[in-house]
Amino acid sequence: MSENPFEVLKEDMENEEVYLKVNAMHRVKVVATLLGSDKIKSQLIPYFETLLKKEDDEVLFALAEELGNIAQIIPNQSSCLLTLLEQLAGFDETVVREQAVRSITIVCGFLADNEIANTIVPMIIRLASNDSNFTCRVSAVSLMCPLYARAGNQKEKIRQKFTELCSEETPMVRRAVATKIGEIAQFMDKIHVIQDLIPVLKQLCQDEQDQVRLLCMESLMNIAKILNSGENKTNILPLIIQSAEDKSWRVRLALSKIFADLAEAVGKEIADSSLIQIFSNLLKDTECDVRVIAVKSLARFIKFVSPEKLNLIVPLLQLLSKDPFSQVKQNACEVIGQIATLLPKEYSQSKLQQYLIDLMADDNQDVRRNAAKSAGQFAAAIGPEALNQFVPFLKKCMDDPKWRVRKETMQTIIQLALTVKNPDVFNKQLESVFVMFLKDRAAEVRSMGLSQLPALIATYKQEWAVGNFLSKCVETLSKDVGSLYRINALYAIQQISFAVDGPVAQDRLWPIVQKCLKDTVPNIRFVSIRVAKSLSKKIDNQQTLNQIKQAINELIEDPDRDVKFYAQEALQN
Amino acid sequence: MQRTANSKQTPTGRPQAQPTTNTQQTRAPPQMIQNMARVTDPKHVPKEIRDQFLKKIHFCSQPYDFNDDTKNVKEKQERSQYLQELFDLLKEPNFVANLVVPHLDLIIEMIEKNIFRPLPILKKTATNGEIGMEDDDQLIDPAWTHLQPVYEYFLQLIVNEQPDVKSLKIFITHSFIQEFLELFDSEEPREREYLKNILHRLYAKLVPRRKMIRKAINDCFYTLIHETYKFNGAAELLDILASIISGFAVPLREEHVIFFKTVIIPLHKVQTCQFYHEQLLRCSMLFLSKDPTLATFLVEGLLRYWPFANSAKEVMFLNELLEVLEVCEISKLEPLIPKLFKRLIKCIAGPHLQVADRAMCFFENDYFLTILKSYKPFTFPLLVPVIAQIADTHWHKVLQESLNALKTILKEIDYQAFDKALNNKDPKYLYIIQDAKNQKKDRQKIEEKWKNLTKQALQKNPNFKEPIVPYSDTHIVGEHNGLNNGNITII
Repeated sequence: MSENPFEVLKEDMENEEVYLKVNAMHRVKVVATLLGSDKIKSQLIPYFETLLKKEDDEVLFALAEELGNIAQIIPNQSSCLLTLLEQLAGFDETVVREQAVRSITIVCGFLADNEIANTIVPMIIRLASNDSNFTCRVSAVSLMCPLYARAGNQKEKIRQKFTELCSEETPMVRRAVATKIGEIAQFMDKIHVIQDLIPVLKQLCQDEQDQVRLLCMESLMNIAKILNSGENKTNILPLIIQSAEDKSWRVRLALSKIFADLAEAVGKEIADSSLIQIFSNLLKDTECDVRVIAVKSLARFIKFVSPEKLNLIVPLLQLLSKDPFSQVKQNACEVIGQIATLLPKEYSQSKLQQYLIDLMADDNQDVRRNAAKSAGQFAAAIGPEALNQFVPFLKKCMDDPKWRVRKETMQTIIQLALTVKNPDVFNKQLESVFVMFLKDRAAEVRSMGLSQLPALIATYKQEWAVGNFLSKCVETLSKDVGSLYRINALYAIQQISFAVDGPVAQDRLWPIVQKCLKDTVPNIRFVSIRVAKSLSKKIDNQQTLNQIKQAINELIEDPDRDVKFYAQEALQN
Repeated sequence: MQRTANSKQTPTGRPQAQPTTNTQQTRAPPQMIQNMARVTDPKHVPKEIRDQFLKKIHFCSQPYDFNDDTKNVKEKQERSQYLQELFDLLKEPNFVANLVVPHLDLIIEMIEKNIFRPLPILKKTATNGEIGMEDDDQLIDPAWTHLQPVYEYFLQLIVNEQPDVKSLKIFITHSFIQEFLELFDSEEPREREYLKNILHRLYAKLVPRRKMIRKAINDCFYTLIHETYKFNGAAELLDILASIISGFAVPLREEHVIFFKTVIIPLHKVQTCQFYHEQLLRCSMLFLSKDPTLATFLVEGLLRYWPFANSAKEVMFLNELLEVLEVCEISKLEPLIPKLFKRLIKCIAGPHLQVADRAMCFFENDYFLTILKSYKPFTFPLLVPVIAQIADTHWHKVLQESLNALKTILKEIDYQAFDKALNNKDPKYLYIIQDAKNQKKDRQKIEEKWKNLTKQALQKNPNFKEPIVPYSDTHIVGEHNGLNNGNITII
């Protein structure tokens, strides 16, 4: 019965299909658990050695991962896995290498500090000095970051090797270094960061390959985080200025992407004094992709500068809101909404409102949609008094040929109504736009309005619901505008019914529904049944209840199957 | 007079720039060549002509926004004309020697300033693009019309014999080559064509820079293989390599063999291999013609990087495989025979008709049949049962016929071995044609064993977590791609 686990593994690895071998490889930890540490060393590891030469990359990838798992089974003796992992770290295939690096890090977690210094550091140096295989050097760079902190007295050696690799001729290695330099800085003493890393970072930021310079951007931000304001000013700021003027738009784009985080990292003082100017240039970049991303970052960037400095950015918004590239305008909408919450009301109203209104009438539907979205935020920021200037434009947006725009507008209106909480403003300004959902051509817009109706009723109470709003519903029902609109209005009435008292439901709502039960369209009849059902739960008056019951009863013999079904269902419960 | 006529006719047939009007004072006399013709002693170019020449070069080094046709219209027009004049100068040996060569530094700088630029992403629809709009127009870089004359000028400059190796060499530095190679990623095919021609000529001319150029190309390919997986200029670079390789001396130096093993072979595994496979194949075959012993490495590589779920690429691999096999020494193939024939039989029994058809073509090749015969003890037990079975059951008539023909061929090769192989069905190879149900049954046995072992492991260590197996059952393709499609089974 009892199988030899090692034999089972070997048998399964004899399979022809790669995927079965990969599966088998992932079961190695079963084998390792059963074999125990001695046999892992004497049987399993030599067997793995034979696999390295002949197996497919997929299998080796699995092997690299499982070696990390085996380390967890034999934590005290996991160093025996290192020879294998070192070989895998030098492999050609990128994913195998990267996985090997991850597993080495796991193994190192089980090693004592002196072992790190005595075995791991020499291994890293060995990999980093492998001149014939750049893959080894790349892996070495990835290993340096997590292990630097534990390298003890060998730290200097690693630092030296790391900076050495920064001047590599092979671009692959320089790219690896550029990616990791920010990470390794997190583990270093500040003095070493400034003395050793900053000079090479400067060098990498001027690399002949734009790919390398591009990768530096993220690292730049990470290093900025650990330096203080003064150090950033002397070390990081010049690099930011230089990168913002980089001739490759890809680098400028990468910088734009992280600009908000960069501003956060260097602190308000530098952001105020220098970054706004640099960022303004990025926002005016000749390459539209850079502008798109820059505007996107702008929405966050404005939170990291002092409010009084924001007026430097406002003039740019005028430019951006007229940008020939629609995606720029799209992102600019968001910024306008955001910045209005930070600026004085009158200032936003006089400077920004017009831009937003123009954007709401843009040629591009996505711009209009985003503008409608930001309009809510903007309007809420400048306060209800100013709403009357805005509402006509929102109304116009509700006539937009694209339903996505209308849906966004509807949402904005609802959000506004819910935040303003002022019946006066609502009745005068917003309600007329809101009720447009009843007549919208797109089901998405109608159901959007419907879904938010309960919240609105809760805010503006029964008076509004059975007053103005109900009359709009009745209007929709009475005009023969197609069954779908009428169904929507019926559902709206159902929503009202949940919020009102019994007598109101009986006197105001029931007569309407009663009429609809006799509609020519079957769908309206069965929706009316449902609504009537919910009405009956509110009403106490026995006479009306009988009326309802009788009306539904009449529909039991309806020629339409569905109507019959719902009528029966309603009567049963 | 003759010269004037000459200068108006451009070799590329480009329209001549607009004739100048007298109102423009800054405009230098259009026919610089005419002026030059009056110079009696070509060794001493008058200062005013030299100044004019330098002014034009300087003018052409100015950057303009070529993406917007409405900006700097006048300057751009002027620039085109100057470029044309500079171009015409190259045809006059005297001026090349006395004007161009002494100012090569400025000229190269002018070229660098023009062509070394961050590559644009060509956009299909610039503004107001509504979602879902398809636009099949060829992408054109709006700057191209302004770049083309610079490239043409550069090309002619290199072709010209007067700027010698020594004077050119100092400008063709490592970083120059690196930046130049990055341009190969351009999406504009005409640009890549120019780049190819120029680099090719540079390589031919600048013997001392050859090693450096090769190394830079290597790095380019390493990036493609290990990092980016896409590079628009791969085909063009391989074109250049093809002619470089044909110039290699025999026996090949170790450096070149390493290049074959670390670049040419791994290039096969890249996802975008289709775009440059033709050129890659040519390079491979050139290498093999220099050193046939490399063929086995290539066969090994092909079998190792065999495409997965990409039948078009599989067909390409099959084509290459057959070509490479013909170069292989039969005795050297031995360690690869099992993998090779298993792969072929998988292709034949596979669901894709073209792949199967292409694999069947192997058996029309005499050299391949010799390989098959040489390793009869292995190939027959593998081939015969599978071929015999699918010859009866294959769904496609034409393929069924050729399978039957193959059966006959195998029979003719060795009747006894055929019969023996047919009767002695080694289950190991038959799995290829087994239906999913039987396969599952076989699998179950070993899955059972694993289950038992896992239980034991749990007993031994209560904290043991069951391994997660990535590929469950037979739905590997579906699982792999996240579309759990019940129709897909593994062959």
